[in-house]
Amino acid sequence: MPTPEAHPASSSDPAAAAPAAAQAVGVSIENLSKQFGTFEVLKNVTFAVEPEEIFVLMGPSGSGKSVLLKHIVGLELPTSGCVTVDGRDAAAEDTREHVRMALVFQSGALFNSLSVFDNLALYPREHRVANAAGIREKVMRALQILSLENAAQKFPSELSGGMKKRVAIARALVMEPQLMLYDEPTSELDPVMSATISEIIATLKDEYHVTSLVVSHDRELALNIAHRVGILMGGSLVVVGTPSELKASKDPRVAEFLNPKIDLKNPRFKKLET
Amino acid sequence: MNNLQQTARVGLFFLLGLALIWVTFETLNGGKILKDEGYAITAGFESLKELKQGDEVRMAGVRIGEVQSTRLAGRRAEAILRIDPMVTIKSDATASIVTAGLIGTNYIGIDLGTAGVPDLVPREKTRSPRGFFSRILPFLQPEPEPIAEIQTKTAADLNSIMAQIGALGEKLESSLGSLGTAFAGDGKNPGLIQKIDGLVTDNREKLTATMTNIREITDKVNKGEGTLGRLISDPKLHDELVATLNEIKAGATEAKGFIANAQSIIDHVKQGKGAIGTLVFDEKIGDDIRSSVATLRTISDKISRGEGTLGKLLNDDSLFRDTQAIMKKADRALDGFDDTGPITAVGVVYRGLF
Amino acid sequence: MNQLIKILEGIGSTLQLLVRSASYLPSLPRQFGRFVEQCYLIGYTTLPIVAILSFFIGSVLALQAGYSMQNFGAKQLIGALVGLSMARELGPVMVAILLAGRVGSAIAAELASMKVYQEIDALVTMNIPPARMLVMPRLVAVLVMVPVLAIIANLVGWFGGAIICSSTSFIGIEPTTYFATMRQNMEFKDVLNGLIKAEIFGFFVVLVCCNIGLNTRGGPREIGAAVTRAVVVSLILILVLDYFVTKALM
Repeated sequence: MPTPEAHPASSSDPAAAAPAAAQAVGVSIENLSKQFGTFEVLKNVTFAVEPEEIFVLMGPSGSGKSVLLKHIVGLELPTSGCVTVDGRDAAAEDTREHVRMALVFQSGALFNSLSVFDNLALYPREHRVANAAGIREKVMRALQILSLENAAQKFPSELSGGMKKRVAIARALVMEPQLMLYDEPTSELDPVMSATISEIIATLKDEYHVTSLVVSHDRELALNIAHRVGILMGGSLVVVGTPSELKASKDPRVAEFLNPKIDLKNPRFKKLET
Repeated sequence: MNNLQQTARVGLFFLLGLALIWVTFETLNGGKILKDEGYAITAGFESLKELKQGDEVRMAGVRIGEVQSTRLAGRRAEAILRIDPMVTIKSDATASIVTAGLIGTNYIGIDLGTAGVPDLVPREKTRSPRGFFSRILPFLQPEPEPIAEIQTKTAADLNSIMAQIGALGEKLESSLGSLGTAFAGDGKNPGLIQKIDGLVTDNREKLTATMTNIREITDKVNKGEGTLGRLISDPKLHDELVATLNEIKAGATEAKGFIANAQSIIDHVKQGKGAIGTLVFDEKIGDDIRSSVATLRTISDKISRGEGTLGKLLNDDSLFRDTQAIMKKADRALDGFDDTGPITAVGVVYRGLF
Repeated sequence: MNQLIKILEGIGSTLQLLVRSASYLPSLPRQFGRFVEQCYLIGYTTLPIVAILSFFIGSVLALQAGYSMQNFGAKQLIGALVGLSMARELGPVMVAILLAGRVGSAIAAELASMKVYQEIDALVTMNIPPARMLVMPRLVAVLVMVPVLAIIANLVGWFGGAIICSSTSFIGIEPTTYFATMRQNMEFKDVLNGLIKAEIFGFFVVLVCCNIGLNTRGGPREIGAAVTRAVVVSLILILVLDYFVTKALM
């Protein structure tokens, strides 16, 4: 059950509820390791995200970025080390009752049986955040921000990939979270839509006081909106720094990840084979 | 479909289900839900035989409850009978175990008792009200504790009936034996026959006079004179005679014994012994008798032709029927047992055998 | 050994789910809409197939009984035989099997796809426990709806038997006789017994199917596997439970 401090609004005034709840939280990850069977996905990862910061976690596919996110929301339990959100253990069940976290899934993870409107309204309805009119207002506001007003009555199966992503973000916004986690928000999107999403992520903290942790390998997004960027490779954090620091990095792995050269004469996959 | 319609359908569906369960319940349990539980009484027997839990309790053939449980209590077997509410049993009513069918279904039969006798259990105690939950789930109701005990009697079974019949036979035999002694005498006391012989010897003259009188009477009768003559010749008096004969019937048994004796008397007479012998072989008296006999023959001829009252009497079935009725009464007097189901059957067997 | 551990895991997680769902029971009023929806799916939409099947089961029962009992001259007892078999055994078991096939598979498929497409994870991050929103309303709905289905199955089966008895030439038992012997030899206890059985079966079928759905791992292929597993486990569970519940209720 949500506590009164975390959800001050079962009141009928949603406008008053929104700013009071917005208190960004920090995340700290210490020596996090995770094994699936014998396969080590994460190896001794340590870093921290400050409140209201936009932190972008980059890395090649399969480097354990999504698994790391799942640890923060408590969907996965660490093999060793710990993850704390606002000073609370992320693995504990009651953390989610005290800290509102929203995870934007790579696939969107929209509820296929519910319309877009109902997808967004699910959280406020289940938690009795406001009355029906208040919920409607909140949902329409979130849809407006992402220019989705016309899609309100559609079902997820009728939406394009980009729209699904935006609906997923809108659904996260309705929660008025203190911590927003994005899993590949710009993948599978055209460049313009990617830019739009990047802008949304960057400007959200003006509207909602929120800490953002973005997992992405979108270089544009990372270098343009991030306060700090971390690069995860093979389960270990290689480097953490501001975008400018990263650009100046002498680490060949970082340099190659940020500026891969397409060399047709000497393709990489051939090298991998040998 | 909108939500309201869906809710309504689900609601309706659920109510339908409840209604069906209720109907099933009412049908199978006979509306026990609204009725109060009855009360229980104990009935002690020497043996419960084949009686078991769930068998019926009937009063005058009407089902009024069932056997709630059976148990052994000290030196007797007890059946606890659950009686329907508002059914009262007279305190002098008795319970017995009755076999109803060929395959041995048993029930407890309770008779009606005597009117005016106080009830075994007062009417206000004949129901135990149900609690709320046991109304909904009747099996939650605890079985009522027995609050009274009913008198019982052992209904005879085949074995005891056979034993009684055996005893009866023995009695019959001994009584026939003493009858023989009475007729023949046993050495010290003279039998009936000796007594009659003595009687005839002592009253020789008187008998001669009587015979003369008889001849005179029979002559008169033959001529249709006098009352008896008229009676024999006149069928109008038949009815009166029948009534008289009915009274006479009571003495029939004694008469039978007398006839038996007559044979032996005749034997004496043939040998010319005693008073009667003399009587018969005296010629003068012989003539008298001969004419009497002739007269008698004419009478008997009339009788065999069915003429006159006596003729009708002998050729009439009603006498036979009356005799039969008397035999039946005697029969019933013999079996002094209960007249309930199985015994009647045994009675039939008995009658057939004897 | 691995299989055994998996089975034990399954039992454990099912019981955990049961306890968790039970603890969310107080929030039923808030889930009332979902509860009604599940009632509709479990009860109302399952009714036609339950009615059709129980009609034929009752008929076949009467037919077979008539065929085998005519040699003993016990034909007039068909009413009691059909009545008792339907009420005590076939009605509840058949309703449970239909629930497993029709409702259990649907539940397993829905929850498995929600799991595979991360909808369940999304619910968890939204602090909406799946047990509260997805499992509890279904369990309450099945408890409310199963007695209704079972009593209808009984009645339809009885009538099916009655029709067959009066219309089949070599049986030729009039409905009056049929129902009279049924009433004579049955008590409501027998029907109640069956309703309790159906209730237990239905409840566990839904619980097990929910659990299998929620514990699906992997890709879309696993959805199909989960459905198969849910139905198979349900059927086994029904028949195993049947023995023990019958014994316990005797």
